[in-house]
Amino acid sequence: MNKRNIVIIGSSAGGPHILGQIFQGMPRLRTSLILIQHMPRFINHSLCDHLGAETEMTVKLADNKEMLESGVMYVAPSEIHIKLALNERIVLEHGDKVNYVCPSIDVAMMSLRPDPHVQFIGVILSGMGRDGARGISHIKKLGGTTIAQDKESSVIFGMPDEAIQTGDVDWILNPSQIRDKLIAAVGWDRKKYL
Amino acid sequence: MKKDVMVVDDDATVLKTVKKILEFAGLRVTTVESGEQCIQAVEAGFEGLILMDVMMPGLDGWDTIQTLVDKGFVQGNIICMLTGKETPDERMNTLKEYILDYIRKPFDNQNLVQLVKEYLSYL
Repeated sequence: MNKRNIVIIGSSAGGPHILGQIFQGMPRLRTSLILIQHMPRFINHSLCDHLGAETEMTVKLADNKEMLESGVMYVAPSEIHIKLALNERIVLEHGDKVNYVCPSIDVAMMSLRPDPHVQFIGVILSGMGRDGARGISHIKKLGGTTIAQDKESSVIFGMPDEAIQTGDVDWILNPSQIRDKLIAAVGWDRKKYL
Repeated sequence: MKKDVMVVDDDATVLKTVKKILEFAGLRVTTVESGEQCIQAVEAGFEGLILMDVMMPGLDGWDTIQTLVDKGFVQGNIICMLTGKETPDERMNTLKEYILDYIRKPFDNQNLVQLVKEYLSYL
């Protein structure tokens, strides 16, 4: 039986431009992808529109209680935490800031649960602070694949560096390599609406 | 696409240079010499992309952004740092949800224009 895929990408300062590089021409990946970009709420929809114009994946703002589907990128809305229930359903939950931010990458990644039928991938992109470092270790403990953006291509290396310092990062890559790694890890569908 | 950019920097040479580069690219540029003037301009109705220096006398870049946040003036304004400071200090941690990018001086002109236009297209 093929495994289901869940990718969680955490991103902060400089992220929107880097995400554009990663997803430019990206085919419809065979995964549910959760994106946590630290950003003001008023650009939530703009980011979805921008990324949706780059990739064949469906890009949407995540809704509370919706079931994950393959080929869809769920962008976390600002000012509310995002979690996954049973690795299947999105839960949006109000709460205090974690690592100075809401939504927090750690909160999203730590909500993943052990499941032999799911392949997990965690990616930490450019940004200030240490959000995502605990989450990356958690994904590694679940047997997942972990990726951090390299120093040369990071606008701010803080978040990737903190993730790397945990010793739980498998790959340190630039945006082009992250793109290739995601495609190789989860596969893709040739047409947008299969 | 909105075309309004505000450059906040206490260095007159930087203001003049950035204004010239961005205006040549077809953008409307407001320059201010301090955080206080930035806040006044936003209070007066500026909406667009703000390129914010970090180290300035009076309110520095972080203080200025914090004031904009406290006053509810972040809505409609995309903020990017434009600074010679290689590594941001810890104060950025509490403001990172409001800062979309961190551009270092000296910058490549073409790269600056590309980033500014890209972020303006979010508005």
